[in-house]
This record gives sequence, structure tokens and C-alpha cells, in this order.
Amino acid sequence: MDATDQSYAENRGAEPAGQPRVGVYICRCGGNISDVVDAEHAAEICWHIPGVVVSKVHTFMCSDPGQQSIIDDIHGEKLDRIVVASCSPFLHELTFRGAAIRGNLNPYLYEHVNIREQCSWVHKHDPQGATAKAIALIGAAVGKVRQSRPLEKIRLNNRRRALVVGGGPAGMKAAADLAGTGLPVLLVERTGRLGGKLVSPQSLFPTGIGSTQILEKLESDVRSTGRVEVLLESEISRVKGFIGNFDVTIRGPLGPSGALTDVDVSVGVIVMATGFQPYVPHDGEFLFNRHPGVITTVDFQEALACAPEGKRLVVNGREIRRAAFIHCVGSRQIEGVHEPGPDGRLNKHCSRVCCTTVLNQAIQVRRRFADTRVYDIYQDIRAYGRGHERYYSEASRAGVIFLRYHGDERPLVSAAEDQSVHVSFKDYLSWGETIDLDVDLLVLAVGMTPGPCGRIVDQLKLPRGEDGFLQEIHPKLRPVEISVNGVLLAGTAQAPMNLQESLAAAGAAAVKARAMLVKEQVELNPYVARVNTQRCEGSGECIGQCEYDGALTMVEESPGVRRARVNPGLCIGCGACVAVCPNSAIDINGWRVEQYDAMVDGLVLQNQPA
Amino acid sequence: MDPNGFNPTILVLATEACAYPGADAAGKAHLEYGANVYVFRVPSPVLFPEDFYLRTYARGIDGILLAACGSDCPYRGAYDRLAARIDRLTGRMKAGGLEIARIRLTAICTVCIAAFLKEVRQLDEKLRGIGPVNRQIASALQIAVRREMQEAAAARHNAPAGASV
Repeated sequence: MDATDQSYAENRGAEPAGQPRVGVYICRCGGNISDVVDAEHAAEICWHIPGVVVSKVHTFMCSDPGQQSIIDDIHGEKLDRIVVASCSPFLHELTFRGAAIRGNLNPYLYEHVNIREQCSWVHKHDPQGATAKAIALIGAAVGKVRQSRPLEKIRLNNRRRALVVGGGPAGMKAAADLAGTGLPVLLVERTGRLGGKLVSPQSLFPTGIGSTQILEKLESDVRSTGRVEVLLESEISRVKGFIGNFDVTIRGPLGPSGALTDVDVSVGVIVMATGFQPYVPHDGEFLFNRHPGVITTVDFQEALACAPEGKRLVVNGREIRRAAFIHCVGSRQIEGVHEPGPDGRLNKHCSRVCCTTVLNQAIQVRRRFADTRVYDIYQDIRAYGRGHERYYSEASRAGVIFLRYHGDERPLVSAAEDQSVHVSFKDYLSWGETIDLDVDLLVLAVGMTPGPCGRIVDQLKLPRGEDGFLQEIHPKLRPVEISVNGVLLAGTAQAPMNLQESLAAAGAAAVKARAMLVKEQVELNPYVARVNTQRCEGSGECIGQCEYDGALTMVEESPGVRRARVNPGLCIGCGACVAVCPNSAIDINGWRVEQYDAMVDGLVLQNQPA
Repeated sequence: MDPNGFNPTILVLATEACAYPGADAAGKAHLEYGANVYVFRVPSPVLFPEDFYLRTYARGIDGILLAACGSDCPYRGAYDRLAARIDRLTGRMKAGGLEIARIRLTAICTVCIAAFLKEVRQLDEKLRGIGPVNRQIASALQIAVRREMQEAAAARHNAPAGASV
């Protein structure tokens, strides 16, 4: 008996006897679905699908009462198969499998129907067609689920060690927190030291604490447990596997300090703390790279930190009588107004942190250099965080002069004769008056762009959002998880964040990672090949299709009787073997060809024109 | 629906790793396509035997779009095997009198919204041009293809020892 057969024997409950009793649940998604799909009508029709004994509508199936109605019906109506028609399975398939488990039903006797992303949202102007399609898709799912068999997860030993990629503040925090729970952590950093962007000294909002102080504390947290192994000048050159079982090759040192070597490690989870890249203006954008008086907020940070005290600010040996900031450089870009970057993409997002960064820097200039005037030329000011608004009022009090341009009328910047920079724009605080300013320093408030995440992103197929940042599963419900199980997001690899938010995300990622590593074993979906021993005649057609060593072999069970056998730990569930069996004796658990046949039948049965 | 009353039924077999999230992305962007398009999620369409497609036509599905992962396929060798399989299938369809425009193999990534919409629209237009599937032909072909498959396997299996499998 192979391991898959064994797991069948341990099933939660036996294979349901007699005719399947299917419950169909249609979600309104608070109108997201029911504004287009006539959910009540669909539920009426679904009563007539063979096998359906319950058909209901709920405003939010994923809510506790929605899930509870499934559990109640499993007991009350003796349901042994469940179909929920709601959003994409990537959002809530697991939710409803969980409900099935709580109702003491095998979770693989559950089928998910996507009538939001693939129905109501794409057929907005065809409510009748969308309703008919929803019914047909439910028909297909009922057809499939009637053929479903209870399955048990595959269990493998968990490698209880975490890999944190990126040694900036988020990576340090995640590593320190994880190590604090007693787990060994490997922290890999590309550069020669920990700290990321905090390495350059600066005063951090909203507390005014110096970055050096924060960095020292994070560093001592990383070192204090003795459980964080730090690899500097190193990068991930190869990664494969899945939750609990990632095989990673780390290459280093990258610097001139020695010969490159590869080290292989095994980890259970990976925390992506690869950070962001500050936006770099195009050559000539607001005279950037063309005029010594035009720099970014990143450069200005350092300039401020090392500027000598005095009446006037001095930057690069130039005395600054007047300084101006321009907001939203490289953020909130508009098609037709801004030039796309080298990758052809516009940064349409707001980088969130630059407004308060400007206010913070402007206040520091005014406080330290009484004779340097400061102009703040903004589109909008979004001092959104707790304590950030204080910076806005303080800047006003400190004499910073605010001016406001319009997003599609960008300030024009030109070189003036006396080495100063000329800025011209329409100011909407004075109802569109044209303002001409000569300044000695123009600081461009640059936003955040997606950081390079190395090869991991391609090798593990981590999804990026439209903005290029790594994309979480759900912005509210699962904010630090990504669709690849076992990989977590910490900090600005995911989106623009300030330090406070980055560290909060890193803490959350650490806790999530801890929860994944705390188990002795990881559970995998049982979607592997399975041989029907009654049908297998040992033709061997399947063996030649399998690309995975040891996953599928021919075994002589008794003299003259040869049958294919699957090793579920090595089978990856691609199904190449399935297509070629002359006797249809091999299938992928949960995705059997006869289930697809039943889906087609269920679909066309409900697809009759009204 | 078409003025002449024909609205093709299109089945998209979309890979879980690429094309299915790609179809989701079209929904998240609130872009529209016809409600005659049905998407089924599959690990990889490589699992379907050739007669599966023919059976599907025999049940009245007019066109099938295989929206796979292409070079992004998470399974070793699966995409090439799939492509070879679809090659054989189209050859068999052609010989058996079923329009090969009813099947289309393409790669759709997780954010390939435009490509997804384009493929769906093009298949829809083609099917409207050629009309409903001939279910009798499909059904006869399905039976023939399965029989051929069994005979070929038997011939290989019963080949004298030492012959290559």
C-alpha cells in the first residue's frame, strides 16, 4: 500500500455512502456579485441541479454567520458535499475548507466557484448573461464535487529555520523577533553591513530620534540572542521548494574580500525584506544631474547631517540663501505628463513618506539656519500618520513658505545666470498666479520605487502588483503573506512605508513565520498522482512521461503483475502521466479527468438558453 | 448573442499558477468580455488525454482555449509535452473533419490582462465565423482516438523483450 492509499484509510469519515447531498451557497459579496448576478434567481435554479439539496444566498459567505450556515447545514441537512460561489478561490477557498473541517466534513469535498473576478466584475453590462454563467459554473462545480473523494494532506518534516532576505531595518527586526522566539535565523545582506537606508545618519520622524540610535538598538537585538547567523556581502543565487522545505543556495562574498562560494542551506520559511529604491530622477528632470543646485531629498539628508552650523546652510561649499522643495518627484505620475521609467512603467502610486520627509527637512533647515529661506512647493500634502500633522504646523510656524502646483502643470526649472535655479509655476494657493523663484538649492522629494529582489522573485514566482512592489495576498486580511506559501513580506519590498510601518510589518511577518515553523510537520495539498490499481495493467506508458526521479515507478507486485506506483512525497502533481494511460488508470487527486468530464457535463446541462 | 442566433460556448482551461490569476486580474481591473466564456482551473492542461477535448466538443462546447504558463510553467517539461499533445490532437481533428480553429494553445501570465482579453475575443470571433461544433463528428473522433491510443499502447507493451518502450 502506498502512502496515498494509507492516507485514504485514515480519512476523516469514510467515503459518503449513497447519493451525494450537495449544499450550494451563493455569496452576494455585499453587492460586488449581486449588483450584477441575480443571486436569488441563481439559487432558485440551483435547487434543480442533480444532487443539490440545499441552495442558499448570503450577503457575505466568508463572514462568521455565512460560514456557520454551512456548518449548520452539514449537520442539519446531512450535507456531504459543499459548493460556495463567491470570489476567486485564491481568496477564500481555504476559508471554506476550514468551515468544512469545522463541520466535520473532509475539506476536499468542497468546491469553489469564482463568480466575482470571473463573472460579475467582467460582465457588468450583461446581468442576464452573468446570471446564466454563474448558474452554469455552479452546475460544473456540483458535477465535479459529486465525483470528489475525501483526501488527506501529505505531511512532511518542517525545516525549522528561517531565512530573512535583506539586512535593512525590516530584515533586522524580523530576524531579531524570530530569534527571540527561540528559532534559528539566517539573515542575508547584499552589502557589507546591516542597516540598509538607516546607515546614513538622519533625524527620524515622528519622534526626532536619530537613525544611529535606532540602528544600534536593532543591531543589539539581532546579536543578543546568538541565534541569528548574519551573512554579509551575500545574495540568494538559487531557491526552490515549498513551505517547510526550501532549498536555498547563498552566494558570497560579493565584495573584493575573497573568492565567490556557494553555500546550500535548508529553511522552512523565507522573509522578504528586500526594501525599496529611492526614485532617481531622469537626467535633466528638473535639471537633475545638470545643475549642482538640484539634489534629491536622499542626498539632502546627508548634506543636512554634515552641514556646519551657522547663519546660513552650506551645501557642497555653496551658501544657500534660498532653498525650495518640490514634492511628488517620481510619484503620482500621470500618463501623458510624465516620462515612463526605463522599464516603461509610470509610478502612479503615492510614496506616502516623502511629504513628512520634506516637512522634517524644512523644519531642520529653518531651525538651524536662520538666514536660509525655505519654499515648499507641493501638489498635495499628505501628513497622514500619527504625529505627522504636527510637522506641518511646525513648518508653518518656522516660516516655511508653502506654494501649491497642479499635478499636470509641473514647475518649470531652468538655470539662472548667477548659478541659482529658476523655478516657475502656477500657484493655486493664490488662485493660479504665476510664481517665479530663484533659489540656490532645489531639493526634489523623491518617492519609493520597487527594490531589486534578486532571483528569488522569478524562481519562486512571487507576484508583483501593478506598481512593481511585491503583492500581498489580501491588503487587509492577509497583509504580510504572499501567494507563495511560506514566503512573507516585511517592509518596503511590499509598498512605500515609513520606518514605523516597516518595523510593524516586519514584526507581523516574524510572528507569521513563527506560526509556520512551530509545527513539527508541514501539510501539503494531496494533489499528487494516484494509481487506480483495479484499472492499471502495467502498460508503462505513464513512466516515460514523468520528469521527477522516483515519483513514478513500475513495481512487480506479484510474478507477472506489474503496476505503476506513485511516491507522493516526490510527485509534484503535474499530470503528464495522466494523459497517456490507455486505461485511464492514473489521475491527479482532486483534479481527476472524470471530474473535469463531470464539470463539462454540469456546465452544458445548465447552459441551456432560457 | 449574434443576430443569426449563434453564441459560442467557450471553455478556457487556465493554469492555476499563471492564466487563472491572469483571468482574475482582468476581473480586478473590471474589464469586460463575453459571458459565454467559462474558465476552469487546472494544475496544467498536460493532464488531459487527447480524447478529453473531443468529448468536450461532443458535449457542445464550441471552442477551447488552453491558457497555459508557457515558459513560466512550474512543472518540468509539461509545457512541451502539452504542445506536442495539442499538435497531435489538431492533426487528428483536421483528418477527422473538426475545425482546428476550435482549439488554441497560448501562454497567459498572472498579469497578462490584455493578452487574455485578446485571446478570448479572437477565439470568439473565429467561432462565430465557423458556427456551432458538429457534436456527432466530435463524438466519433473521441471514440476513435481513445481506441487508437489503446492499440498503440498494446502494441508497444506486447513488443518483444528488448524492444524500446
